[in-house]
Amino acid sequence: MRPWLALLSVLISAPAGADCPLDLGHGTGIVIFSDLYMLALRPDPLRIEVGQPFALLMNVCTKGGDPAELVRVEATMPEHKHGMNYAPTLKANGDGRYRVEGLLFHMPGNWEVAFDVRSGGEVQRLTHDFILK
Amino acid sequence: MRRLALLALSLAAAGSLARAETSLDWTPEQVRAVAAHGPWPPAPLFDPSNRVSGNAAAATLGQHLFEEPRLSSSRQVTCGDCHQAGRDWRDGRARGFGMVELDRRTPSLWNVGYQHWFGWDGAADSLWMQSLRPLLDAREMASSAPAVAKLLREDKALACGYERAFGEPPGADDERLIVGAAKALAAFQQMLVTPRTPFDDFRDALVAGGRTAAQRYPPAAQRGLKLFLGRGNCATCHFGPLFTNGEFGDTGIPFFVRPGEVDGGRHGGIARLKDSPFNQLGRHSDDVSGVASTRTRHVEAQHRNFGEFRVPGLRQVGRTGPYMHDGSLATLEDVVKHYSTVSPDRLHSDGVPLVHPLGLTAEESADLVAFLRTLDVDTPKLPPPLPLCP
Repeated sequence: MRPWLALLSVLISAPAGADCPLDLGHGTGIVIFSDLYMLALRPDPLRIEVGQPFALLMNVCTKGGDPAELVRVEATMPEHKHGMNYAPTLKANGDGRYRVEGLLFHMPGNWEVAFDVRSGGEVQRLTHDFILK
Repeated sequence: MRRLALLALSLAAAGSLARAETSLDWTPEQVRAVAAHGPWPPAPLFDPSNRVSGNAAAATLGQHLFEEPRLSSSRQVTCGDCHQAGRDWRDGRARGFGMVELDRRTPSLWNVGYQHWFGWDGAADSLWMQSLRPLLDAREMASSAPAVAKLLREDKALACGYERAFGEPPGADDERLIVGAAKALAAFQQMLVTPRTPFDDFRDALVAGGRTAAQRYPPAAQRGLKLFLGRGNCATCHFGPLFTNGEFGDTGIPFFVRPGEVDGGRHGGIARLKDSPFNQLGRHSDDVSGVASTRTRHVEAQHRNFGEFRVPGLRQVGRTGPYMHDGSLATLEDVVKHYSTVSPDRLHSDGVPLVHPLGLTAEESADLVAFLRTLDVDTPKLPPPLPLCP
């Protein structure tokens, strides 16, 4: 079993995530978390290609069960210190579910995607790295 | 003695042949990197924003219109004057020439249908939108929607060809008709796909593990390919089967087109794209799904776009000089020299720069050129267009 699948299984079965559907379908997904938040995400299409637009299906949750909001998504190449050529848009589908449209990685290499989330006033940033070859 | 000399010559020739057929070692990671530049040819094209994309009757109409001088206000300029069939669909000049000399080079049309952005600045988001630009540009064909619409309505053969392509006779909406002409021109240009190259044969053999087949690829080209993928950092932008990521970059070519005037490239292109009624978000797009307009809806002008130009594909690159957006480099050797010696002062980057002086030796430069020339191939002559109507 791949590490992230194992992590997904653990998180889905954890009591703190009982009201937070982290399974985004297709039996696959990525889960990232902090002390307060849990984010599940799945690219659409599943395989991200250099120079091809893609979306992210997301569920955004707090560990305490409070509602959480996705505020902003952006991606950068830390090595080259530049971002994407496109500004993604967020579409809220209710209950912490989102579709992030208009992402495009225009080069191979390491892309760091940052997710700004909040529950109440304070915004917290979680990140995940995608490596394109 | 004479036999001995002949034997020595034969052995020398055999040795030389053996060296010529030597395949370099390729790591699994390098094989994956090579594989990313294929397969070729890609799947057939269909542009959802163009309802006659892939339509043979529209392509025929487009081929006729491509060589139609009455599309220009002077009745003397055709699309084919700059994009010449016998010259790999470009004119070979440093800068294009329509009614007057332009500021940028005429790019080749090979594989143009696979692009997502068109023009050196990406001011068009579809091939049909790009095909409109020279028709309406006062420096190129200087025509207008009423003039093109009148021609389509009044010329019996063109009107018949239009009806066959679009399923309706030319109507009263001038703008719709000039867009129709552009969509037919796009349907024709989508057919311009290059055949397989020596690189493609090597790529497929390498991926399949066919060492003997891979050995037919010249060692100099193999060394050049390794440079292209590795230290040269070329494949960061010239990526994928088309050898382009489809986006834009600053390659260190001066911005000035003449004293006191700069070409802002992509920065201005995004502004023109968003201002145009012919972009994918306008009434002339036939895409009901919205998929084709994804890039247009999300593209965002940034300061760094200033001086960026479209990363061109490299198929047929050895035959489509001069080079760069302004035609300022005459030969492939000049291009390699540019990237070998480009001044870091000219390039701005907060992180690891994508373009930096490579400092290539003469042998490395020659290897890189040898690789690039394996992306060239003889192309079949395009047959004359079929009659518009029998």
